[in-house]
Amino acid sequence: MSRTGIPACLVGAHRREAIVLADPITSDVRSHIVGTTAVVYASDYLNKLTGERIERECKKQLDSGCRTLVIDFSDTGIVNSIAVSILLGIIDIAEKREARVVFSDVNDQTVQLFEMLGVIKHVVLAKDEQEALNLFSPPTQTQAMSH
Amino acid sequence: MNNPGEMRQVLGRVKREEFAGRAAELDRIVAHALTAEGSTADRGLLILLAPLAGVSELLRQAYDRIFHRQENVVPVYFALPATETTAVSVAIEFLNTFLLQYIACRRNEPALADAPLTLNDMAALAPAADVDWIEQLVAAYNQQRFSDDDRALVRFCLSAPSRVPDHGGRPFVMFDCVQLSAYDDDAVPLATEIVRTLVSFDLPYVFAGLRREVAYTFDRAGINASSLETIRLERLTADDASTLISSMARRLDVTVNEETRDLLIQQLEGSPLFITALLQAARSKHVALNSYLACERLYVEELMGGTLGNYFASALYRVTSDSDIRGAIVRLLSESATSKVGGASPTVSFKTWCQRLKLDAIEVEKILRRLHTQELVNWDGNTVDGEGGPEAWKDYLRSRFRLDALREPRALVFADLMAAALKRAPEKIARHFRQGANLRIREMLSRFSSQRVPRLLFDSAEFSDVHKGGTADEIVAALDADTDLVRLPQVFHTTSGVSFSPELRQFSDEENCAIAHAFDGATYTDANEVVWMVAKIESKLAAGLDLTRLWLDRLEAVANRRIFLRIQIWLIANEGFDEQAYNLLKARGAYASSQQQFELLSARLSEGEGPAAHAGDPDEFEFVLPMSSDSELLAANTAEQIARRAQFTPEAINQIKTAIVEACINASEHSLSPDRKIYQRFRVEDDKLVITIASRGIVPSNIENRNTAAAVFESVQPSAGLGLDSGEEYGDAAEQRRGWGLKLIQTLMDEVEFERVDEGTSLRMVKYLRKG
Repeated sequence: MSRTGIPACLVGAHRREAIVLADPITSDVRSHIVGTTAVVYASDYLNKLTGERIERECKKQLDSGCRTLVIDFSDTGIVNSIAVSILLGIIDIAEKREARVVFSDVNDQTVQLFEMLGVIKHVVLAKDEQEALNLFSPPTQTQAMSH
Repeated sequence: MNNPGEMRQVLGRVKREEFAGRAAELDRIVAHALTAEGSTADRGLLILLAPLAGVSELLRQAYDRIFHRQENVVPVYFALPATETTAVSVAIEFLNTFLLQYIACRRNEPALADAPLTLNDMAALAPAADVDWIEQLVAAYNQQRFSDDDRALVRFCLSAPSRVPDHGGRPFVMFDCVQLSAYDDDAVPLATEIVRTLVSFDLPYVFAGLRREVAYTFDRAGINASSLETIRLERLTADDASTLISSMARRLDVTVNEETRDLLIQQLEGSPLFITALLQAARSKHVALNSYLACERLYVEELMGGTLGNYFASALYRVTSDSDIRGAIVRLLSESATSKVGGASPTVSFKTWCQRLKLDAIEVEKILRRLHTQELVNWDGNTVDGEGGPEAWKDYLRSRFRLDALREPRALVFADLMAAALKRAPEKIARHFRQGANLRIREMLSRFSSQRVPRLLFDSAEFSDVHKGGTADEIVAALDADTDLVRLPQVFHTTSGVSFSPELRQFSDEENCAIAHAFDGATYTDANEVVWMVAKIESKLAAGLDLTRLWLDRLEAVANRRIFLRIQIWLIANEGFDEQAYNLLKARGAYASSQQQFELLSARLSEGEGPAAHAGDPDEFEFVLPMSSDSELLAANTAEQIARRAQFTPEAINQIKTAIVEACINASEHSLSPDRKIYQRFRVEDDKLVITIASRGIVPSNIENRNTAAAVFESVQPSAGLGLDSGEEYGDAAEQRRGWGLKLIQTLMDEVEFERVDEGTSLRMVKYLRKG
């Protein structure tokens, strides 16, 4: 829940700058909402601790009614295997709730790691956050016209 | 301090520069004199002596070194005389020696150290600062010596050094107790009194004696010797004995050549006592030791009527003063020595000894203990092994038996002994040279310590196929580049095959066959225990089928008899093995090497030796990180810098970083480390980066009983988790997905394995440089 008591996904802004900070007591994970999509930002080093924070944040967003989770790795340099197992847990939870998971802006090293551990087969990869948002959002008027 | 090279001899009998082979021990004694203080354990220095190793000159040299420093420490050297008969007379002699040497040092007058002065003379010569306490000591002694209490007098004399007041010099007493057993029967237990007095001193001291005697003496005095600093003195090494012979022969003007020098070393088994005795005899008899004949003649003369014979006669006299019993001992030992069966050591029961000596058990025990102390026999309480003692002792026994028991003519015994010695000489030297070569088998096995070496070195046929015709440099370069490696076990004990099976002596020289007990893999477990059985086959050409089969059968028979559960046979033949023999070896799981392969392996194992090998190496980095959140990131970033410097590609750098992160996590999660630290070593080599991540603590269950990292990876594969590259279905619980770390590391790095460590784990990872 956001500080206002309104589900976070319903009050989120459409732009990345409009970040709704998660509860500072339980998590310092950055995230924001675009429609029914929650964008959650992974930290520079994704380990057990930061992985669990992301997991909590994702669960919270799903609880709030989000249908798509975008986990953005643009700041992430390195991911360890414990974090990978946590990410797979997030995918499990999302699948059970019929939500989709997109990983965006994943560096080559992490892609290689995800490939090795078979994560790729269970998640959609997007070049960046915008591409991730576009994957499951109806095209905007501007985008439709540009086609 | 004076220049040691110009040091005047005080008690030393040879010049400092001619004193061979004990430099380290000498330094330790001097250092102990100057620095030892504090607790009882810290003040004492034990010198445990192998028979004939010689300690007197070492202590005299130490005396001279300390004397010439003219610091506050006053050296006192006292050797128990072999000729004194009572503890009281020895104690009085000690008091005299102490005062004499004390005054000599305090006055810096070396000549006084062994001057024949009375106690009153000494009191008169005492320096002004010491006059009072010395006069008091002499007065007290004069009172004490007329009392009836011998024990009190002994204690008074022995404790004299502790009466030096604080403003005086600090005595450093060196007790040379090699003759201690001569005082066994005295009413006053001299050994116990000496030990107790030394221990009660608030002064540093040295107690030197035969190793078996020292243990017995301290035990009897009720003092734990194990906590004292200890020097173990063995006979001289061949190199040191060679130096001693050369320098002494030069000093005594005795001619020796290289051949006779080697013979003397072997014949006298590196004993400084015997070497000195023989060279001095050569000088006094004007004999040039320039042939085997001259050496052996002098040896037999000395054995039958010279210093060597006197030494053994005295040793026997110390065992018992009864000449009939000595004769019976000689007879018994001679007879048992000639009744060897199959090369095995002759053993005789204690009961037989009692019967043959016609003595009661207590008397025989006393005799056997003395023989055992001098290592002339090995006695375990039940049986007596007469195989002990040097070769010269056996020659002595033989000659005495024939002279005294069989009453044979002396000339005949002399001739026979000399003929035997001459026949033995070339055999002895040949054996020495073979030992030199074959010791390398045991030496090499003892160097096995989980190193990785090219598998090809244990496969004679494949090695020949690949490297035949190659120059030495080419072969070494190819082996360096070889990535098909095997891990050697960690050997913890090596011995001759004859130790396990005396009959092997019939088939080859004792040194040609070695057995090594070892552990494979990362942990000391039953499953990892292995016995390497190694034999060098005598064959000029490639060893054939029959000979090879014979050796395989022999070694396997020994393994069966000794119940070696897991063995690795390794046969070495000069030119390798012919095709049939090679196929047999392969079929029976044995390793096969030529002499060339053996030498290449030896060179590789020698390369990595010694702690200095990597010390100060500019391409090696070591870090210790705490096991805390994110510390693995520091390790990864460090590795990144090192790998970048070594010009690894960005992709490879990322792989290395990920592997290190996983290794650190593994170390943190599994080890229950007591110090919560991760020890990391990065070594950049020409073509690779070698990273070792180690931690203390327990060995994780997934590593225990596994020989290779691959086995670990199999064990950690989560049953419901993902397979690498497989995209298999995965389970629900995150915990089930854990345990990928090691498998990831294996995928990311080129070589991964656990190294042998005593505690915890050490994971070694290698990434080869492939410049992109």
